[in-house]
Amino acid sequence: MLDISPAPSSQTMSELQRKWAKARLNSSAAHAMAPPPVLPGFDELEEDGFSSASVPNTPQDDDSSSASSLSSTGTVIPSPGRALFARPQGFPGGRSLDPIPWTTYFERELFLPSDDGTVTYHAYLTSPAPPAGPGKTGGPLFVTHHGAGSSGLSFAVLSSEIRKRLPTAGILSLDARGHGLTVTSSSSNSEGNAHTRQTSQGETEDLTLSRLSADLLAVMNLTKRAMHWPALPPIILVGHSLGGAVVTELAASLPLPSTASSSSSTPLNNNNNNPPPTDSSSSDIDLLGYAVLDVVEGSAMDALQSMQAYLATRPSGFDSLRDAVEWHVRSRTVRNAVSARASVPGLLVKHGVGGSNNTDTDPANSSNNNDTSKEEVVSGSGRGGRAGGSGRRAAARAWRWRTDLAATQPFWEGWFVGLSKKFLSGRGGKLLLLAGTDRLDTELTIGQMQGKYALQVFPEAGHFIHEDLPEKTAVALVDFYRRNDRSALVLPPKVSDLLAQGKKV
Amino acid sequence: MSDLDRAIAQLRACRPIPEAEVRQLCHKARELLIEEGNVVTVNAPVTICGDIHGQFHDLMELFRVGGDVPDTNYLFMGDFVDRGFYSLESFLLLLCLKVRYPDRMTLIRGNHESRQITTVYGFYDECLRKYGSANVWRYCCDVFDYLALGAIVLGASNTLPSSSGQPAASPPADEVEIEVHNAHGHVISRFLRPKETKGDGTGGARTASPNGGLSNGVSSDSSSGSGSGSASSSAPANTGPPGSGASGSSGGSVGNPAGAVLCVHGGLSPLIDMVDKIRLLDRKQEVPHEGAMCDLLWSDPDEIDGWGLSPRGAGFLFGADIVKVFNHRNDLSLIARAHQLVMEGFKEMFDASIVTVWSAPNYCYRCGNVAALLELSEDESGLGVLARSNGEVNRSDGGVGPRGVLMENDLMGARSGPARRYRVFQAAPQDSRGMPAKKPVADYFL
Repeated sequence: MLDISPAPSSQTMSELQRKWAKARLNSSAAHAMAPPPVLPGFDELEEDGFSSASVPNTPQDDDSSSASSLSSTGTVIPSPGRALFARPQGFPGGRSLDPIPWTTYFERELFLPSDDGTVTYHAYLTSPAPPAGPGKTGGPLFVTHHGAGSSGLSFAVLSSEIRKRLPTAGILSLDARGHGLTVTSSSSNSEGNAHTRQTSQGETEDLTLSRLSADLLAVMNLTKRAMHWPALPPIILVGHSLGGAVVTELAASLPLPSTASSSSSTPLNNNNNNPPPTDSSSSDIDLLGYAVLDVVEGSAMDALQSMQAYLATRPSGFDSLRDAVEWHVRSRTVRNAVSARASVPGLLVKHGVGGSNNTDTDPANSSNNNDTSKEEVVSGSGRGGRAGGSGRRAAARAWRWRTDLAATQPFWEGWFVGLSKKFLSGRGGKLLLLAGTDRLDTELTIGQMQGKYALQVFPEAGHFIHEDLPEKTAVALVDFYRRNDRSALVLPPKVSDLLAQGKKV
Repeated sequence: MSDLDRAIAQLRACRPIPEAEVRQLCHKARELLIEEGNVVTVNAPVTICGDIHGQFHDLMELFRVGGDVPDTNYLFMGDFVDRGFYSLESFLLLLCLKVRYPDRMTLIRGNHESRQITTVYGFYDECLRKYGSANVWRYCCDVFDYLALGAIVLGASNTLPSSSGQPAASPPADEVEIEVHNAHGHVISRFLRPKETKGDGTGGARTASPNGGLSNGVSSDSSSGSGSGSASSSAPANTGPPGSGASGSSGGSVGNPAGAVLCVHGGLSPLIDMVDKIRLLDRKQEVPHEGAMCDLLWSDPDEIDGWGLSPRGAGFLFGADIVKVFNHRNDLSLIARAHQLVMEGFKEMFDASIVTVWSAPNYCYRCGNVAALLELSEDESGLGVLARSNGEVNRSDGGVGPRGVLMENDLMGARSGPARRYRVFQAAPQDSRGMPAKKPVADYFL
């Protein structure tokens, strides 16, 4: 009964989304993506790719884009087999620093108003393959949650790497509140000025762990409703840093799975314009496992002491998105230029000269207005005068951080306290990906040596493991899924079953 | 003093030997190990040790507690390297001792004896730091590929020899099944064998009947009622390759009195139902990601029924039913394995059919655990024939006494293994010299 044809639903979504975009942003530009002029390869994306019914369209586009950019400058992603000990090269001179639009990596974006109307979640989605038939399970949905100060685009490159290896997989990557394009009611009163206010009111945003984990659950259920899925696909939660704490919180709070198979016989209501009520209960979530990227309670708590000092060293603004991408690559914050080009634009917002119209300033959303070209001009002129990137000229810099990380300090401890215990106690498979073994705390060291979870370490990566090493991370996540895929799991029989069958043991 | 002895002395002082000597040593070790089968046959007495993980000073403490080489025969169940700061010295010392005393040292492979794992967990970096090149790491990894996958201990006694320096033990020595000593040799707890209710032939055999024809296979397994005949015929015997057989004095090691003990780093594999199938594997390779060889080095016992998915991402979980059937089919009285940190140093599970031995105290210099080693004594008298009792023993006689937190509850009735003496020890006072400074924490962690 689950033979969802992606085409109609995709069309419906396009429609729905258009409405949302109009209502929310008072602009029709939300998903009409035009490529930056310097990337002619993206021309054919546009609306076509967006509303196209073929699920595996995005990796194709990514292939071409990343392959071309890679070949032009030599490798940044060491191939796992060949260069075991190679470290990723630093900043590759002369390569493109132009932002890559999200449409390269995701099938669609969703604006999902919460039921109580206080928040409109924004998320990127590539749908998983629907079940092949009744009683079958479709592709898994990797639900990703970024770290503090990041955005859903942090997982953009990873998402296409996952789908290269597991074409049936879907990826749902949300912007947490206070991040990306997710808008909370306190910051959405006046439509025209949403982003400046959002940044300035960062400190009033409720960023408690319980809130964020409830948000994550809500986004999953709202996505199910918006996409008219009869049930959520099998879920793998993936969280980076703060996001790791969020997915762990969610995994630890989920009730035991209902025995019913995830492929229920709910009739398909594709043409039903009244969406079914949000099933906010979490009992129908088929959680296969959760993966936490580079966060461990002990070392995170240690690092918190020096966080403010670190944040103070960041530039407070950039002249252009290219500058921002370059800073992230040069400072080795993100060690893979393709990833930086995809994710960094989502971190920044343009502070207008004289009260900007926010839709123009949406880098993640930059559309076929002329903002992009303006930005190119700015960056071109700013190229010569870039020196050190201190906050010296910050006042003049147009692109500022979307999230005021320093203002989130009151929540920091609450994010990480008890994380190790929760990580070990949640149900489902557990995968911890770290950039170094020295990050393990005592509790997880014991847990690891007692075989309670899977640990993989990528010493050549920085904190943004999935951005630095999207291929290796994707391999690890796909292996993790395959291992925990219950529909494929066949274990040898129990002795008692053999005896019951009258077999000799 | 030979070169080897000089190398041993230098390594005992925790000083690395020159690269050329390492190369020579690894070459010799490989020649030795290549002659060993996948499953090495070892005769009791032997002292079985678990993970070491480069904690050199704790390895010295282990030798102090367990007795020095060559006075004591040792069997190390893998994971010599990684995590600790002296993987190199620890492994090279063990390898030197293996080459010097091949019949008294048995080394089998752990999951950390692998190129991939050592690259991540410290051994590779340590070699690079101490030699400036990866050559030594490469030599060591080549040796890893030749390490045996398991060992069978034959001829273990089911009575404990009186330990020196002890006040006369209150219970007769032959009734003691398990004795736990502290690092100074004092008994801290003692567990008696369950008494047989009625001597129906097997019960009395322990003290009366000489070794003779009473092979272990005769005990019938009431749960299956079949298959035991074939089990006895397949007892792991006379496959002993060169390089095993420590003392040669255990008179007739073929009909081992206490049932054999299988030693393996991780545990069982669904692909291995007979010990002989381990012998058929091609072990001279990097540890694969799946398959029997991987499972032997990665699996864990767990309180489940049958087989389960291992949360580690490699190997399997296996339950009591699997262990009991495997032991019965292979005429084993016990499986000894390492691989899992146990805070108490050792942990017996599933009616003492499997034991985890962990020999890295205060693991990673911060986990706060104690370590243990397991001594199996030699059956010298030839009288110590153990009545293997598969489900025939009534445990309700009250003679058992509290089995303590370490012992799991019984499910299918007792099946006693050889007499076991555990020596529990703590971390050596840490010599902090040469310990690398703690890496600075990541500056960005949100």
